[in-house]
Amino acid sequence: MTRLVSLLLALGGLFAFGACADRPPEGQRSETRGVASVLSAGSSGSDDGFARALAPRTFVFPADHGPHPEFRTEWWYVTGNLATAEGRPFGFQWTIFRQALASRGAARASKWGARDVYLGHFAVSDVAGRHFRSFERFRRGALGLAGASAVPFKVALDDWVLESGATGESRPTWPASLRATAGEGEERTAIDLILEAGTPPVLQGDRGLSQKSAAPGNASYYYSLPRMSARGEIRIDGTRFAVSGLAWLDREWSTSSLSPAQIGWDWFALQLEDGYELMLYRLRQRDGGASPESRGTLIAPDGSTRAIEWRDLGFTETATWTSPKSGARYPAAWRLRIPGERLDLTIRPLLADQELDGTFRYWEGAVGVTGSREGRPLSGKGYVELTGYAEAAAPPR
Amino acid sequence: MSRRASPRHAPLLARASRRHLLRHPWQLALAVLGVALGVAVFVSIDLANQSAKKALSLSLGALQGKATHEIVASAPEGIPEELFVRLVRAGVRPAAPVIEATAIVTPKARGAKPEALPLLGIDPFSEAPFRPAVGRIAGGGLDLKTFLTVPGACLLARGTAGRLGVAVGKRFAARFGTFERSLLLSGLLEPAPGEGSSSLSDLLICDIATAQEATGRLGHLTRIDLVLPEGAAGARELTRVRTLLPAGVQIQEAAGRLREGDEMTRAFRMNLKALSLLALVCGTFLIYNTMTFLVVERRRLLGLLRALGATRREIFRGVLGEAAAIGAVGTLLGLVAGVVLGRGLVRLVAGTINDLYFALSVRDLALPPWTFVTGIAVGLGVTLLAALAPAIEATGTPPQGAMVRSLLEAKSGRALRRATGAGALGLALGALVLPVPGLFASFVVMFCAIIGFALLAPGAAVLLGRALRAALGRRAGRVGWIGRMAATGLERNLSRTGVAVAALVVAVSVTVGVGAMIASFRGSVERWLDRSLTADLYVGPAEREAGFVGASRPGDLIARLGAIPGVVRVRPLRRAEAASPRKGAGTVRLIAVEGDPAATVIRQGNVRDAWAGFARGEILASEPLAARLGLRVGSSLPLATAEGVKPFRVAGIYLDYASDRGIAMIDGAHYRRLWRDDRVSGLGLDLAQGASDAELERVAAIVRTLDPEAPLGVRSNKELRRRSLVVFDRTFKITGVLRFLAGLVAFLGVLSALLALQLERTREIGVLRALGMTTREVGALVAAETGLLGLSAGLLSIPVGFVLALILIEVINRRSFGWSMDLVLTPGVFLGAVALSLTAALLAGVVPAIKMARTSPAEALREE
Repeated sequence: MTRLVSLLLALGGLFAFGACADRPPEGQRSETRGVASVLSAGSSGSDDGFARALAPRTFVFPADHGPHPEFRTEWWYVTGNLATAEGRPFGFQWTIFRQALASRGAARASKWGARDVYLGHFAVSDVAGRHFRSFERFRRGALGLAGASAVPFKVALDDWVLESGATGESRPTWPASLRATAGEGEERTAIDLILEAGTPPVLQGDRGLSQKSAAPGNASYYYSLPRMSARGEIRIDGTRFAVSGLAWLDREWSTSSLSPAQIGWDWFALQLEDGYELMLYRLRQRDGGASPESRGTLIAPDGSTRAIEWRDLGFTETATWTSPKSGARYPAAWRLRIPGERLDLTIRPLLADQELDGTFRYWEGAVGVTGSREGRPLSGKGYVELTGYAEAAAPPR
Repeated sequence: MSRRASPRHAPLLARASRRHLLRHPWQLALAVLGVALGVAVFVSIDLANQSAKKALSLSLGALQGKATHEIVASAPEGIPEELFVRLVRAGVRPAAPVIEATAIVTPKARGAKPEALPLLGIDPFSEAPFRPAVGRIAGGGLDLKTFLTVPGACLLARGTAGRLGVAVGKRFAARFGTFERSLLLSGLLEPAPGEGSSSLSDLLICDIATAQEATGRLGHLTRIDLVLPEGAAGARELTRVRTLLPAGVQIQEAAGRLREGDEMTRAFRMNLKALSLLALVCGTFLIYNTMTFLVVERRRLLGLLRALGATRREIFRGVLGEAAAIGAVGTLLGLVAGVVLGRGLVRLVAGTINDLYFALSVRDLALPPWTFVTGIAVGLGVTLLAALAPAIEATGTPPQGAMVRSLLEAKSGRALRRATGAGALGLALGALVLPVPGLFASFVVMFCAIIGFALLAPGAAVLLGRALRAALGRRAGRVGWIGRMAATGLERNLSRTGVAVAALVVAVSVTVGVGAMIASFRGSVERWLDRSLTADLYVGPAEREAGFVGASRPGDLIARLGAIPGVVRVRPLRRAEAASPRKGAGTVRLIAVEGDPAATVIRQGNVRDAWAGFARGEILASEPLAARLGLRVGSSLPLATAEGVKPFRVAGIYLDYASDRGIAMIDGAHYRRLWRDDRVSGLGLDLAQGASDAELERVAAIVRTLDPEAPLGVRSNKELRRRSLVVFDRTFKITGVLRFLAGLVAFLGVLSALLALQLERTREIGVLRALGMTTREVGALVAAETGLLGLSAGLLSIPVGFVLALILIEVINRRSFGWSMDLVLTPGVFLGAVALSLTAALLAGVVPAIKMARTSPAEALREE
């Protein structure tokens, strides 16, 4: 799954433009949203001293739940669909990115001296309330303001925390507590969940090596926990909702990934009610086609996986939605067929507007799935991420 | 006069007036110059003050941003950085950590002077809600990688970078206390359109990590800014934040800083204002003088006009019209000159604020329209007011009477008595106002005294002239008779000389008074430094507010310092602040010391009782603190300690010039217990008696390298003393400038008065020449007359200056700052005063003397 670019986009806005330091800020801001420049900044940036994802590796847990500082970029990406006992649905996204500014930090006397910057995105989709709330935070990886560790497992940025709830000798990673609070007044939003691993980690791509573009090393190490159980509460503007449901953890680390020809991607994480999960991404090329590296994984209830190549798919966008905020036009419904599995799915957002409007603008939201497998009706829930659309629609400033 | 006829006189009057003024360009020029100078000084000081005030609020505003509250510590090191982590983990948002310091940077240009730039250490990820201009760097555009990861990386406004001669990507040196640091200009700050460029100008912005490393304040923050919501939600949040704060750390409203900054500098600015008003008073006398002259001189013309049927009202209007014209031209010139002068003064004002209060640099001269309106009103108003008496005088004489000069002189005799009476009244009024408290009242006292003395001056000059005449009474020869003539002339020409004497006395006594005050102040500070700097070496953090590395283990540091061979004793000192619930007290500076009776002068209270109380844990209040809070011996000052608010009895009031906000001195042991704080802010090292300079340097070198990670700053007794006096002298530079300007106005006044006086005597001199006086004798007579005038004014200004100095020292300084000082009278100040007035007077006599000497008697008499 290639959310790498979202990080590069977001952080590229922060520091990819040292050479343009003298320009007025407004001009820079529009440039930060220019995909091309960010992508090139991402790939041409100095990779000196960072490790690259060149070959499959052996994953070791719980160590791999923790950070991999030898790589430039890394994230802990949790999404999920929850509902109250009465069936009121909520979606949530809780993401923390780590981005190294340098492979080796200078020796600093100050404890504020930092090598890593952490970026957090937190969003809650209140489907019944037709309201999407999203928040963004940055912190340096210093002083315990933000950071990650494997044992005891903890990823944190301010009070956005994912940490092992267990104590004792063995210190198991799961169950873990996921928390975040943000916003003021009506936007005041909080989440407090207990996550269970559900399944063992699923390695994506080739034994966990996920190639993102042709050049060697333009790849990440990628594993998922695609069927975590979640329960706890969501608080919106003072109202508490006891919720439970399914969550999905994606973990990726890499140093470089996309090529300049790739402008964005559509990513799907679907949890089907028959116990299967489907992860799928389409890397969109500048010419409108899908990169050959676009692919997916179908995960069976027993944990076995089957790689899905793009050519094995029927993929159609059946609707679009135009953001009133950004003017960006996003796909808003899909028909997805995998003939080899006799799988035919229709995917629709639970809420049209799930656009995150932070340093980097993209759409990430809860979706509903209907369709059939081998003729039998099938439904499910999931999350979809769409990047590289806002820039195309935004008039150049 | 019939109403019908009157309109015809107005143009005639105007023409006559114009012709007269144009025929006497010198006089006209001096009058205009007098107004211009008075207005210029007034306007320039106002502009400098306004600019400083504006810069203060801009600078504090830029530093403070949109914060509603701030978390600060009572300890000078600031707050522990972990508190910020604790707050954000508790979800207190938005919150921004800040380090403030002062960086001294010397511009690359040859001969450029070092500049003090406020350093703002920030966390770019916390900034956006607070200082949008600063926060934008996190929104894109700047090389955040360098900013965060390269030690010493910083940002400057484009203009500042240009002025300092630093290019992006280049390193430059900056001094923080005694730390020399290399900074890297990693980018330029650009204000967004519509944002004042001045809000960021001169700020040196860097990451918190760089700020901590550059200033040596590792582990600490100056403050944490917060934006709390309004209303009940804000109050709830405030309560919640309070529960998260450790002892010695408090949350306060951010607006308080601006208020405090304004308050801190108010007395200083008010003093400047008063000094500028003094210059204006001198200018007023000058205008009055000139206008009187213009009337006296033309009494024949005016009498003629009256005889021809001009009404009193027309004459009155005519004179006032002239005054208005002179006032208008002078005011205009004064405004222009004021702006030019203001540019120079604003640097001095800012420099003083820099030295005494906080890093502030004022680049732009604020040009508030109100200052100009006031300047115009003052210029025109004062001119018209000064012309009022002469105008009345001009209308008050009957047509034929105006032709007779003796009448005028007889009238001026009456005027002299009246002036003397008014002067005595002025002095009495001043004495009456003296007990009224407040700074404003003390300025009233000063002005009453000045005007009172000015009005007494002509009478005193007459007495002096008579005394001189009596002294020369029997003396034969040229000196004798010319001297007698000159002495008689002093009284005889009183209608003109009286005002000149008064003006001169005012101006010269101001220079005497201000000079004596500065000398007294400096002398007192010197003596205080000599007495209080008892240790041989002073050890402190290398940067003023940097935490000692020994702060966490002070005993260790003290022991290590004590172990240095040659060190006899180590005396720790702790500086802190404590909030006081006493009304208007705000935070009170504390200094915790091992009390040293030899170094501290108890000004109020029994010395023995004061030290006994001090040993029991009572406080000694410095004079400014006592003045600011109205404390007396035995008063109680509540202070917030680690054990809650406790009352502290004031055991005594001591002499201290270190802070104009005041300091409370407390015994170290009691401080450590009550505030649970055993850190040190500074240490005095005593060496064996009679230690040589080489020995001092040897110990200092050891101390400097004692802790390589956080080097200590060491200053010798001598160096501290010298630096303190340098600051003192810089502070009073502006006072010196004003004193000079007042002197200049006075000089011009005398020049103008005497010039006019002598020119007007052309006929008289013609008679004298016709009677057989040689040109040399005429020259000598003129010189003697003017010299006598100058001398008498100079002599008179000595006692007046003395009284002024007393008022400045005992009333104004005490009320402004609470400082007491011993009056120091140096003969130089007084001799200078006499020299100033004599020189002015003699110079004023040169041109007329030459001119008169050249005039043939016949020509001079033809005027008749």
